[in-house]
Amino acid sequence: MTDQITAARPGLASWVRLTVTEAKLVLRDTAGIVVPLGLPMLLMVMNGIGSDRTGVPELEGLPALDAVVVPMTLAMVVSMIGIVNMPSFLSAYRTFGVLRRLAVTPASPAMVLVAQVLVSLAQSLLGVALALGVARLAFGVEAPRSPLVAVGVFLLAAAAMYAVGMLIAAVSPTVNSAVAIGLVVFFAFFALGGGFGGRDNLPGWLADVGAYLPFGASFDSLGFSWMGVGPEPGQLLALAATVVVAGAGSARLFRWT
Amino acid sequence: MTVIEIAGVSKRYGATVAADDVSLTVEKGEIFGLLGPNGAGKTTLVECVAGLRRPDEGRIRVHGIDPARERARLRQVLGVQLQDGMLPDKLRVGEAVALYRSFYRDGADTGRLLADLGLADKVDAPFEHLSGGQAQRLSIALALVGRPKVAVLDELSTGLDPQGRRQIWELVERIRDTGVTVLLVSHFLDEVHRLCDRVAVLDRGRIIALDTPDGLVAAEGGGQRVRLRVAGALDRDALAALPEVTAVTGEDGETVVAGTGNLMHAVNTELVRQGVTVTELRLEQATLDDAFLALTGRTTQENSDD
Repeated sequence: MTDQITAARPGLASWVRLTVTEAKLVLRDTAGIVVPLGLPMLLMVMNGIGSDRTGVPELEGLPALDAVVVPMTLAMVVSMIGIVNMPSFLSAYRTFGVLRRLAVTPASPAMVLVAQVLVSLAQSLLGVALALGVARLAFGVEAPRSPLVAVGVFLLAAAAMYAVGMLIAAVSPTVNSAVAIGLVVFFAFFALGGGFGGRDNLPGWLADVGAYLPFGASFDSLGFSWMGVGPEPGQLLALAATVVVAGAGSARLFRWT
Repeated sequence: MTVIEIAGVSKRYGATVAADDVSLTVEKGEIFGLLGPNGAGKTTLVECVAGLRRPDEGRIRVHGIDPARERARLRQVLGVQLQDGMLPDKLRVGEAVALYRSFYRDGADTGRLLADLGLADKVDAPFEHLSGGQAQRLSIALALVGRPKVAVLDELSTGLDPQGRRQIWELVERIRDTGVTVLLVSHFLDEVHRLCDRVAVLDRGRIIALDTPDGLVAAEGGGQRVRLRVAGALDRDALAALPEVTAVTGEDGETVVAGTGNLMHAVNTELVRQGVTVTELRLEQATLDDAFLALTGRTTQENSDD
């Protein structure tokens, strides 16, 4: 009797269905997608209108719009989705027993995690595509001079932000605390990384810290790829270290129920 | 055939003993009740059966599978409806059932399952718009969509109105009629009495009684009382001498006759023989509540230390 019962993990069709379902839920959460999709476009428009496309010698001859605003917006999209949106979703799933309910089916709750990451990555890419589309069509922003580096840095940045987001989801006891911690961490990274104006306005040591936190490191490295300058190895290393440390920490601390 | 075997299972959380040397078996096709007040250890036991917790001691087998070690195989035979399991607000009924169906190689026909559960017209309704009863039925649908051999239903009628509870009960009986073994967790005595073939009464982590619901009631003392008032004098000793009568007591002019068998008829016949005028007469059947009270010294509503 018992030997005919064999373990069967859900197949690919099930993974696809779960991912599509997660995507539908994200799309139905209208308030949640306004910021990651709308804000980057708004930033592009506001900065693009004021730009006269004059090249700046310190930025390898690129206009500030291309070398500063576009990289900053890209870094902002991934950090906002990774650090604020994803943990709030996961934390809600845990709080309301969605993960616990999955835990008694053949589906592993890890499937939800993967689906979440895929969906929010798609969300990030959509936000980036919309912002870049506006920048390109309305204001003539150039493509990065080192496109492969730009793609690589973007993926590394996304991985770092998701790792931080997972860590936040792991340590937050409630949905509200996940959102609160996510916002505080996001704004701390953003402000120290130069999101509210140049880092040179900050005390020297604080500016140094900000440069190696995920937002500052992503912002700078993306800027370098636009300018065609080699990225700062220390900053890439800092992003990689964030992936490892935050990823390992969240794997250790994450509770399914 | 034994479907669930629990032998000598204990589980502690710090100083709290949630399960203390619990042993029971559930046979194929049975509806087996786990009854007890909050904090009695029902949910801990169920979580051990579902492989969500590992007992400190003892042995559990579900269809021969050790839940703690072979969770992936267990999931193929066990469907679980957990207390407090929610779904995302915006997830629609049809999407939820289709998604959960996709987790299993062999599963139920989702359209038919939803129809059986009275949810056919709610396919497009998001979870946030479901009533308590609808959400509960969806929860049961998700537990059954993989066509389990064993279903665990935890506090399934909590928060439902009387009509909703009766619908759910009929549903559980239909589930059993399809050959599924049901482990039902409840702190409602009427629910257990109506549905269960056998019941284990848990209190502070221990099984304090295990019998059929009627067996539990009978064990408590046969379970009938006739309360009566008469105009004039009553010969209580003659009543007490009847073979059906076990005790005669008096409270505030009311006479209470406890006993077994055809008690009402025996008492009536004696009253007619004595020629007294009866002003009030009523029969009380002892209930599972009485049995529970006798067993635990408390009602099911007390002792909320969960």
